[in-house]
Order: sequence, then structure tokens, then C-alpha cells
Amino acid sequence: MTDAELRERLQQAGYVCDEALATTLWLAGELERPLLLEGDAGVGKTALALGLARATGRRLVRLQCHEGIDLAQAAYEWNYGRQLLAIRVSEADGARAAEADLFARDYLLERPLLQAIASEQPCVLLIDEVDRADEAFEAFLLEVLADWQITVPELGTLAARHVPMAVLTSNGTRELSDALRRRCLYHWLDYPTLARELAIVRATLPQAESALVEQAVSFVQRLRREDLGKTPGVAETLDWIRALHRMKMRALPDDPHALVATLGCLLKTREDRFQMAPERLGQLLEGRRAGVAEKG
Amino acid sequence: MDTPHAAPLEAIAGFAALLREHGLAVGVAEQQAMVHAALAVPLSRSATLDAGWRAIACRDARDWRAWPELFERYWHPERLKGTVRTSQRTRPARDLRQVVQALQTSLGAPGARPADTALHTDAGETEEAAAPRARGGASRTEALHDRSLSEWLPQDLATLQKLAEDIARRLRRRLTRRRHAHPRGARLDLRRTLRASLATGGTPVRPAWQRPRRERPRLYVLVDVSRSMQTHAQLFLRIARAFVEPAQARVFVFHTRLAEVTPLLRRDSPTVQEKVNAVSAGFGGGTRIATSLSDFHGTHVRGALGRDARVWVLSDGFDADPPERLAQELATIRALGARVTWFHPSPQPPASEAITAARPLIGRFVRLNSLRDLAAAPLQ
Repeated sequence: MTDAELRERLQQAGYVCDEALATTLWLAGELERPLLLEGDAGVGKTALALGLARATGRRLVRLQCHEGIDLAQAAYEWNYGRQLLAIRVSEADGARAAEADLFARDYLLERPLLQAIASEQPCVLLIDEVDRADEAFEAFLLEVLADWQITVPELGTLAARHVPMAVLTSNGTRELSDALRRRCLYHWLDYPTLARELAIVRATLPQAESALVEQAVSFVQRLRREDLGKTPGVAETLDWIRALHRMKMRALPDDPHALVATLGCLLKTREDRFQMAPERLGQLLEGRRAGVAEKG
Repeated sequence: MDTPHAAPLEAIAGFAALLREHGLAVGVAEQQAMVHAALAVPLSRSATLDAGWRAIACRDARDWRAWPELFERYWHPERLKGTVRTSQRTRPARDLRQVVQALQTSLGAPGARPADTALHTDAGETEEAAAPRARGGASRTEALHDRSLSEWLPQDLATLQKLAEDIARRLRRRLTRRRHAHPRGARLDLRRTLRASLATGGTPVRPAWQRPRRERPRLYVLVDVSRSMQTHAQLFLRIARAFVEPAQARVFVFHTRLAEVTPLLRRDSPTVQEKVNAVSAGFGGGTRIATSLSDFHGTHVRGALGRDARVWVLSDGFDADPPERLAQELATIRALGARVTWFHPSPQPPASEAITAARPLIGRFVRLNSLRDLAAAPLQ
């Protein structure tokens, strides 16, 4: 599959990406390297992995990182309850459970990383918000991402049957180690351009009125240029247009007061809501009308 | 001068050297990956290598932003207007397509020289060739580090940010009496162990451990924005801002009064400076350091100053308050256990009467006029 084909498939799967990102994704597959995606919240980092899984027909294995995540939650864990039960059953039968039996694959609970490594079919591995995990966990990831293997002391080293397409996302809440960055290809995902965002909304919400989509996306693009504490991402744009569509709007209203109630979809902090008073909204909307008039 | 298509590996090695010169960590492994990418991409789509190589060579957002200009400068210098050649290796008329074609012809053919070996040699030569130049002075990094804060360029901010992160990491974490769960803790967490044992019929199969919590020091940065500090205040604020995220610092500005600007500095916005100016615009003339410090410990951080606090004052030390008051206020801060470091832009520590009287209460004086000063500052 070439990068152009991959881009086409992603488009069909509902993820609109530019040429550079498609090339990077394709190259990550060719070089069998994980892809580290950074960018502001809501620009579509996680959605890319979901889209990639759909586009390639692979299973998606997702590991959501959080503070304090450890090996037992990420890679594997012994099923202690079942082991204990086996011991008790053996004792009841008057036999002695063999230690080797207790540490067989049957008693191993596979967590996302091991699931991806042991998968019979090629899969997409999403390691989401890796910056939330501790540095110690990051160090553990190095073995998995560099050699595509996991060492279980009782069983030995389990190597991947198929190298998964790994996508790591980070919101930059913590600086990732150089060692991890070195093992990954890197892509900074920015807010989409007007044309790309229009394409994304049209692909995701085909039922929404074309005029509404055009005006709303232009409005959000202008809103992003404002000095906001939390800039709305693509997810927020989709939410907002979905809400406007549910409210049976066919175009953005002229009166900014009519929009205020729906702004909860776009602006997520009190300061931002306060800053976007109806007067300022009106100015942004006027920008819309000017843009549409020029276009016409 | 060799033509690019005759020596594709040298062209790529030269490009890697240019990237290294500009702070991108491109080693042999990255060069190998770049060659692999060039071999994998179809000739007709060689233009897409820009994106592929970018993903290989960049490590963070700073690299990502620097890339387009570096790529253009090396491969398409004719497209850049008004640029000056800064590297001897930057030769005009490089054709990426020709390089890819030559690479695919030479290395794609059976029996060709393995890319890895060839690159290793090239990289070695490149580094050797680059070394004497760097030793001859005027290397980019050196210049940047020595550049006075008043002559900073926007790209220096990225370097400052990295430096601030390093310093934040170095700040010694203090051991507390509180404990938290940790898989490699030394002490058994009896309560959690017993709770977990319920799942295995009362047998404590999975003990829970805990260890003492270490907390990073609380950092308070006080920036003098008075008239006498006019030339330095803006850059001192930038330094203070660099510590807001990595060290969770709280930043205050003062001249006759004190105001907290941390929430403003958290935002990455070009209007931050305007907002800070707006906050401090209502202040009168003169500098009242002692009054501001009194306001600081008595109102703004009342009850929060303790042994884990570090107070950094960025000021030239000219105080309009009675000279003995500064010592009194600093004594109050010291009595609470906080450590005070005084950053000054002048070569020597301030010699004003107020500072002289308060000298024993100030843990350390640090000159701050360049990144080198900040990097060398013994901050713990």
C-alpha cells in the first residue's frame, strides 16, 4: 500500500488527513517504527489511531495511560485468583499443584501491550496520553517499542508475531524522555486548515446543512485566533455543529444572543465564556457575513 | 565540488549535519532511517520525503517548527529570499529527486555498498569536518548562550524553555512524612494489602507497598518591573514564565505594589506582555521592594511559605523604602524557612544600602544576564 492509497483509505474510514501525515503514517509502517503524535487537545490524535484501524481493517488495541499505571495494568498480570483456586482444587484432590502449571499462559491475563504483541492478526496499538504515565513506565515501554517483545520472567521473552502499527499520543503535560522520542517517528498535529476542517465535518456529519457547516467552521477558525485559555479543537467543532443541527438550524443566526446557549460546546472555561460576550460574538459573526459575501 | 546525484549519501549526511548544527538530534540511526525512507519512497513521490524525514528527524515541537526553513535552505536554497549561507555545506542546486534516484540506483542494486556502513563513514567524516569549525569559535550554540538577554531573538526562547525544564528537574525534592503507594516501596501498606487479600480468599498474594512522598519545592518568582529595570524586566519575565509550567512556579511582578501574574503567563499568547503591562500599569513611580515583599508573605502566599519554598527575586536592588525594612521583611520570609535567591543583571551583586543590610538573609546572589548565567546558576 502506498501513502496515497493509505490516505484514500483513511478518508473512506472517516479520517481526513493531509499528505504529510499520510506519508508519515505509511513510513511508520514501512520502517516498523511507532509514531509519536503531539498536539493540542482535540486536534484528532486519538481519532487518527481509530481511523487507521478502520482504514487498514486491523483490530485496535488501546492503552489509556494515567499516573501510576504499571506493568500489571499495561502488559500482563498473573491471574492470582485462578492460581489459588487451582491450588485449592489440587489440595482437595490430595495432589500437589506443579509450579510450572501455575505459571502457564492459561494463568496469564493479557493487558493491552501483551495483547498487541501476542495478537494472531496485525493490529493497531494506541498508547494514549503517554505523557500522563510515570517515567518508570516510559522506560518499560522502550523494550516493547524498540524490540516488539515483552519479557515475562516466569515464561521468557514473548516476541511479536506481527509488528503492530503503534501510535503514541501526548498532550505535552510532561516532557517525554529522549530515549522514547528517539524510538518513534514524530508528528506535530496542528489545528486543521479551513478546507480540511470543512472536509472533516462533511465526512462526519453529512446530514448537516452545507451553509451551516461552512459558516460554523469559518466561525470556529476565527474563534481560534482569539486569545482563549482553551482553544476549541475539531471535536468541539463537531459537537457544536451537531448541536446546531439538532436545533434545526440551517445557518448561523444573525443575533449573537441566539448562539450564547450553544457555546458550551466550544468554550470550556469560565474565563473564555466571559471573554466571548455577545458583542464580541457579533463581531466574529460579522466576519462570517463578510467572508460569505466576498465568496459570493 | 561533487555533484549531489553522484554522492547521495554525502548529500544526506550534509543535510543531517545542518540539522545537527541547528539543534536537532540526528545521529547515525536517524540518518540510516532517512536513507531507508528514501529507498522506500517511489521516485515519482520523492517530494513527500519532506514529511517522512521530518517525522524521523524531529523530536519535539521546537524541531518541528524549525524544520521547514532548514529543509528549504538545504534542498531549495533558491526558494529562500534574502538568506545568507551560514554553512559551507549549503551548496546551491541540490535536487532531492536526483539524490533519491541516485540512491535507489546505487543502493537498491544488488551488491551495492550497504547504506549503514556507508552512512557511518559519512557521518564520521562530517562530524570530523565540523569539529574544527566549532573549535574555531563562533559556533551557533556558544553565541546564543553568551548573547546578552537584551539581544535575544525569538528562537532563543526555546533554548530557555529547555534550560528551565532542566533546572526544574534539578530542584531538590524534599522528603515528607506522608507516604504514597509505590510498587517498589520499602514499607508494607497493611490496609491495602488486607483489602486486596479479600479477592484471594484472605491470602495476601499481592502485597501493597508504600514509600515516603517527595515533594518538589514551591517556587515563587518575584520580578521587579520598575523603571530602573525597564531594559531587563521583559526578559526577566520571560525567564520567570519559562518556570511556570515545569516547576509550577508562581510569578509576581512588583514596583510600588505587588501583583500575581501566574495565570496570565500560563497562556501561550502574544498578548501576554500587554496583559502584564496592564496589571502593573496602575503602579506609581519608584520601587518599594520591602513593601512588595511584605505584601507577598503577608497576603499573597500567607500560610504557604515553608521550608520547601524557594523565593527568587529578580531585581537590581534599588529600594525606595527605608533601608532597614528590606532586612526585616526578608527576615520574616527566612524565619518561615524559605530560601531567598537574588538575581541581578549587573556584574556585581547590588550594593544599595538596603541590600547591604539584608545580605546575610539572602542565600545566594546570582548574576543573570545571559543563558550561560542561568545555566551556571547553582540552583537546588
